[in-house]
Amino acid sequence: MEPGYYVVLAAVLFTIGAVGVLIRRNAIVLFMCIELMLNAGNLALVTFSRINGTLDGQIMAFFVMVVAAAEVVIGLAIIMSIFRTRRSASVDDANLLKY
Amino acid sequence: MGGYLGSYATLGLLLAVGVLFFLVAMTANRLLRTNRPSAAKSTTYECGLDPVGGDWAQAQIRYYVYAYLYVLFAVEAVFLFPWAVIFDDPGFGMTAVVEMGIFVGVLALGLLYAWRKRVLQWT
Amino acid sequence: MNGFTIATPAQVLAIDVRLPDLDYAAMAPMLVLFGAACLGVLVDAFAPRQSRHTIQFALSFIALTVALLAVIREARVGSRELTADVALAIDGPTLFLQGTLAVLGIVALLLVGERALEKGGPFVSQAAIPVGSEADRRQAREEGATEVFPLTLFALSGMMLFVAANDLLTMFVALEVFSLPLYLLCALARRRRLVSQEAALKYFLLGAFASAFFIFGMALLYGFAGTVSFGGIHDAALLATTSPLLLFTGLAMVAVGLLFKIAAVPFHVWTPDVYQGAPTSVTAFMAACTKVAAFGGLLRVLYVAFDRARWDIEPVIGTIAILTMLVGAILAVTQTDIKRLLAYSSIANAGYLLVGALAFSKEGLSSAMFYLAAYGFTVIAAFAVITLVRDDDGEATHLSRWAGLGREAPLVAGVFTFLMLAFAGIPLTSGFTSKFAVFGAALGVGEAWPVALVIVGVVTSMILAFPYLRVVVMMWLSEPAEQSPTVAIPGAFTSAALMVGVLATLLLGVFPSPVLDLADRAAEFIR
Repeated sequence: MEPGYYVVLAAVLFTIGAVGVLIRRNAIVLFMCIELMLNAGNLALVTFSRINGTLDGQIMAFFVMVVAAAEVVIGLAIIMSIFRTRRSASVDDANLLKY
Repeated sequence: MGGYLGSYATLGLLLAVGVLFFLVAMTANRLLRTNRPSAAKSTTYECGLDPVGGDWAQAQIRYYVYAYLYVLFAVEAVFLFPWAVIFDDPGFGMTAVVEMGIFVGVLALGLLYAWRKRVLQWT
Repeated sequence: MNGFTIATPAQVLAIDVRLPDLDYAAMAPMLVLFGAACLGVLVDAFAPRQSRHTIQFALSFIALTVALLAVIREARVGSRELTADVALAIDGPTLFLQGTLAVLGIVALLLVGERALEKGGPFVSQAAIPVGSEADRRQAREEGATEVFPLTLFALSGMMLFVAANDLLTMFVALEVFSLPLYLLCALARRRRLVSQEAALKYFLLGAFASAFFIFGMALLYGFAGTVSFGGIHDAALLATTSPLLLFTGLAMVAVGLLFKIAAVPFHVWTPDVYQGAPTSVTAFMAACTKVAAFGGLLRVLYVAFDRARWDIEPVIGTIAILTMLVGAILAVTQTDIKRLLAYSSIANAGYLLVGALAFSKEGLSSAMFYLAAYGFTVIAAFAVITLVRDDDGEATHLSRWAGLGREAPLVAGVFTFLMLAFAGIPLTSGFTSKFAVFGAALGVGEAWPVALVIVGVVTSMILAFPYLRVVVMMWLSEPAEQSPTVAIPGAFTSAALMVGVLATLLLGVFPSPVLDLADRAAEFIR
């Protein structure tokens, strides 16, 4: 397989994730879109690792995964503490802060 | 049946027989059985009881905390695999073991904290 | 999709794994803070509840002092080196910014540790308990969380790593190490916790969004250069055998991640909400220390990795700087909440800092570093004053409530007036010297873009003076409102933080030369 296609796939996934973040309203779905973007980054890293012939990219993907896991835990904890009070995970309902 | 493609022919034949068996059995079932659908029959099966309420239910908050802890520990373990490949190579040895010890120690610190804060109690 | 050559598996496997050399003395500031933070977690797990606050505060204070001493020691040795297999660069800017972070961290820690203003401190012990429930009313009378100290230390160690990071991966890990504790700290306010949680949610979602851009940019730059170290990217940009498309797309995406953290327009929308919703001591910490760390990282990326692409990035970052200054200044005029006002002012200040950064000269670098230190002290002191103006409901942050404060508490109002004048850039304050240094460095380059930026900078400074002076006029000349808030007597910690902040603002305005010289001597990156 031509590895260039995987870069294109990664770019497409990243774009889907970014568009999702911009148009969706549920905090959890938003968060899943961000995860999609991170994983698109991972795919690109691993592909470039193959193209460049160095293993660095694969190790970097490990780091991204681990950091993403830490981010998931903290993010879900914040989303859940809001949900427990408000019974809603919609980001449109989080509207106390504006001028 | 011999040769390179022959072994695939065996596989193909097996697949065809499998599909055929499934189709014959299900069609026979369909033709032979009686068919009288009713509203009660198409409700969700829940241990013989009628389902009550919506399908959105909240889980106990404890589940989330366990899930969070699991996510962290499961994913951090990813660093153990590359380490396990090289730690006994010349030039690594003790240093690599100590470094992984520190890494696991920091993780264990989190678990210790969770334990002392009584997050791990299931009541 | 042609043009890529694919390595064979045999080539991929033929790698040379070896242990990197670690210079522990150079890494000591970060290691001390990280170790103390881990120790803090243990303290919180095992120390008795009554003594936790004292132990945690003492531990954090000592750790930051030791880290500062380690930075000073390293600076006196004069080390300039790449360590940990080029992942960390210990050079002048690293040491200057780490020292700044340690000092500002100590001052911010004083605010975080203050418990005299409110029983149990400004934080709540369990933020996950639903607001208004029975359990929440019970915990409102209890001691606040002491986890804030380890969280602060984790954030500071991440920031110190961030300014030292010499490759994109280390930078990303450091970015998350300092961001994740900040997200949590935002959600812990004792008063108005719904707002505080909302601030944390917004900060988190947008922060994670920005770091996803950083990651993808890092992947593209890795594809371009075959390495993520800044030196390697610089060399690859010099040779440029592959298409520069990857280089520029990657740079743009990495820049999105960094510009988000420094709150440059159009990546600034989180700033006012987070600054307003977070507990004020955390806001002070973010406003001072996050700015230092994020700008340190951005400066290193621009100066070390992409100085060859300077002509291509200058128009883009220049436009962003102009937008940042304009939007920050103009929207600051319309604000009615003092914390939001300072948030927009911090956005505008990010613009002024970008002016210094875009000079791409030694003077630009040293002036930006001086600006970061000076601004940090002033902004911490300003937020310290905000913690003092209170009513039954916590802090009274609406501007109308500040009317007539000068009669009620002349000293506090006087201090705040001085700080506002410093923000406005009046001579004899650090605000003047730092703006002067930054604009001077930009003019010294003598090219079209820096000069245009300075013109916008001066114009927006004048616009920005208006909201500051309006606050001053309101405090001294307006009639007090019906229910005017009381000014709490500051505890020892807040007094100390205020004193340090105000003194630094004054001294850096009157005798700036020692610190300017220090910044000037430090202003050289190694590659």
